[in-house]
Formats: sequence, structure tokens, C-alpha cells
Amino acid sequence: MAKARALDRRRRSVRNIRKITRTMELIATARFKKAMDRSIAARDYTNRLAKILENIAGVGAGVAHPLLEVRPTTRSAVLVLTGNRGLCGGYNSNIVRQSLALLGQWRSERVETHVAVSGKRGISALKFRGIPMEERYTNFEDKPEFEAVAPIGRAYLAAYSAGEIDRLDVVYTKFESISRQSAVTEMLLPLKAPEPAGAASGPIQLASQEYDFYPSAESILEEILPASFLSRLFKCFLDAAVSEQVARMVAMKSASENAGGLIKDLSRRYNRARQSQITGEIMEILGGVEALKQ
Amino acid sequence: MAETKHSGIRCVIVTPESTILDIRARSVSLPLFDGQRGVARGHAPFIGRLGAGEVRIVPEQGAEGGPRLFFAEGGFVEVGHDAVTIITQRAIPGDKLSAAEAKAELERLRSAPAIGDEAIEERLKAEEIARALARAAAHAR
Repeated sequence: MAKARALDRRRRSVRNIRKITRTMELIATARFKKAMDRSIAARDYTNRLAKILENIAGVGAGVAHPLLEVRPTTRSAVLVLTGNRGLCGGYNSNIVRQSLALLGQWRSERVETHVAVSGKRGISALKFRGIPMEERYTNFEDKPEFEAVAPIGRAYLAAYSAGEIDRLDVVYTKFESISRQSAVTEMLLPLKAPEPAGAASGPIQLASQEYDFYPSAESILEEILPASFLSRLFKCFLDAAVSEQVARMVAMKSASENAGGLIKDLSRRYNRARQSQITGEIMEILGGVEALKQ
Repeated sequence: MAETKHSGIRCVIVTPESTILDIRARSVSLPLFDGQRGVARGHAPFIGRLGAGEVRIVPEQGAEGGPRLFFAEGGFVEVGHDAVTIITQRAIPGDKLSAAEAKAELERLRSAPAIGDEAIEERLKAEEIARALARAAAHAR
């Protein structure tokens, strides 16, 4: 009996775990939808800023700005975006691996690095590897808010303008599609110079709308570059949030499926154990009866 | 042009998090960097820098509701042939503005010491925003 009972107990605990993973999958699905909606809603802002930038580049205003100037990298900043919680497959470990590669590269080139990490998982992983971190954020969950991201971005802008950093890389999980997210390293500073609108959509469109600029194209450029940097940084946070939920959804789905398989296997073994036990008992009784006959 | 049946312009307010307004309006009053500016249909296209202040939108005739008021803090406006797009980092609808809160913020800024040129400049900027906020809140009621 002992073996059958042990199997039954295991089966029950696997069932409980499956209940939990199934619930987590559903929660992740709901959160993913919300995060995705936010990410789509935020796209408009970026697109419109890009359109204005194109227009400014189109009129040939002197596109020179401290944020666009590329300097040799002697001091670099790295921002790593991970999750606060685990149970989401390779989401966190991929980011940690990617950031370690980047940090290793800076170290071999003798570049001073300023490391900032968001998410408890990334913080503990980098701490374990003995990497000093200047900033740690744990306040970003599945709904990053612009008001919370903006101060971080402004600090980077100030540091870049003051020459304290020459480059900013963000390591995060880019959301490409629901079945594809990849850990990437993206350089956000210096900004890429805006391309004139004519390059992509033909020169006819450029002539159709002639804008006046108040107070001047240069002054607008001065304002719009930081804004477009902030919106790109915000997009990184949004992408990371969406990807985390997708990763958790997929991980929990496969965990639930796996638990289902395990339960099937355990049931089969339990039934076999029970059957052989019954057979054994019958054999014993029959043996007893045979012994009494003699 | 294409929109002959409408007499107004399309007015869109976009913030980094979402598009908070997209309606057709008769006229829009914008807080440009150097003062309010009104825009109605047929305005010459321009791109301008915004200061802190109130955006007033008069909806098209026939649309329900009175004029709408928002507080916008910096950003840009793009006026096209048939559309006004306000791109700002922060836009607060008029009914969510609180005059008391804005005043308290202004008091706090005034009493806090600012040492050095940069700090003083920053404080002046913050005070300007708080004052504009208080003004908009007073108008919203």
C-alpha cells in the first residue's frame, strides 16, 4: 500500500502546482493584453515626434546638437531592464547574459561604466557576479509610467550634456511579435541624426506641406531631441514590460502542460501499483484457502 | 480640402502614454512659448513650441458639451491644413485641476531656498509652471 499511497500524494501535489501555474498563466495573459494596449497607445507620440523631426531635417535646418555629437567613448552608461519576479522562462537570464557581455566588452576596452539596473532579478544576478551598480530601481512593474521614467532619462541627458558619460546603452527585451522577443542592446545616446522626410517618402510629399517654425527650427530641434530621447527610453520600458508578461505566459503554459503529462504518468503508475497490490492480496487469500484445504 | 462637409479642424492631444483627445473643433487656443495663439480652419501650417498654459478647445457646432480645457506643460504643436496636433509630456483635463493644490505648490517653491544660478533658474521655471497651473485651475471652474 505504501508505494501506491506515495504515488497518490505526489499526484495530488502536482495537481496543486498545475492549478497555480494555470492561474499565473491567466494572470500573465490579462496583464500582457493591458501592457500591449499601453504600448500601442504610446506609439502615436513617438511617430508624431518623428514626423516633426523629419520636417525639420527636411528644411535643412542646421542639424547640430550636443545630443547628436558622437564622441570617443571613455565613460559609458549601461541601463539594464529586468523583471522584479522570476518564473518567466529565460527572460531575466537572457538579459543578464547580454549585459554581462556588454560590460565585459567595456572592461576589456578600459571604459569606465556607470551601471543602472531595474528589477530585483537583475540586481541580485549582477550582485552575485560582483558588478558594482550605481543605481537600482525596483519600482517598475507591468505598467511603467512616463512620470517615473522621465526623471531617469533627464538624469542621463544632464550627464551626457555635462560630458560625464559619452554613451548610453540600454539592455532590454525587445518585443517583436507575440512569438518573438529578443534580448537586445540598444544605443540611445548619442541620438541618431534625423533623416529628411524626402529620403523615405519621395520629394513630392515634402513640398506639399511647408511649415513655419515658431520660434525657429533650431529652437524646436533643441526641445524635441530630449523629448524624442525620453519617448524612446519609455518605449524600452514598455517593451520590457510586455515581453516579461509574454515570457511568463509562455513559461507557465508549458509548465501547466508539463504538469498534465506528469499527472498522467503518475496516474498510470498509481493504478498499476494498486492493481498489483490487489493481485497480491488475492494470491495471498487463495494461498490461505489452498493451505486450509489440505 | 477633402473634408468639405466639416467646417472645423481636427484636434488631437498626444502624451507619451496615450492619445487623450481626438475631436473636431471649431477653434483651438494654444499656449505657445510666447503667449496664447488661436487656430481655426485655414490657418497656415506651422510647428511651434509650447509653453506651460491652457489649451482651450471650442467643439464644432452640434457637438455636445461646452468648450474643453486642458493644462499642457511644454511640448510642441503641429498645425496642418486640417488638423492641430498637440504633443506634450503632460496634459491634465480641466476638471482634474485643483487651484488649491497649485497654490500650495507655488508656496512650497517660493519658500524653498535656491542657491546658485542654475538652481535659481530652475526654480523660476518651476514657479512659472505652477503659476500657469493655478491660472488654468482658476479658469476651469
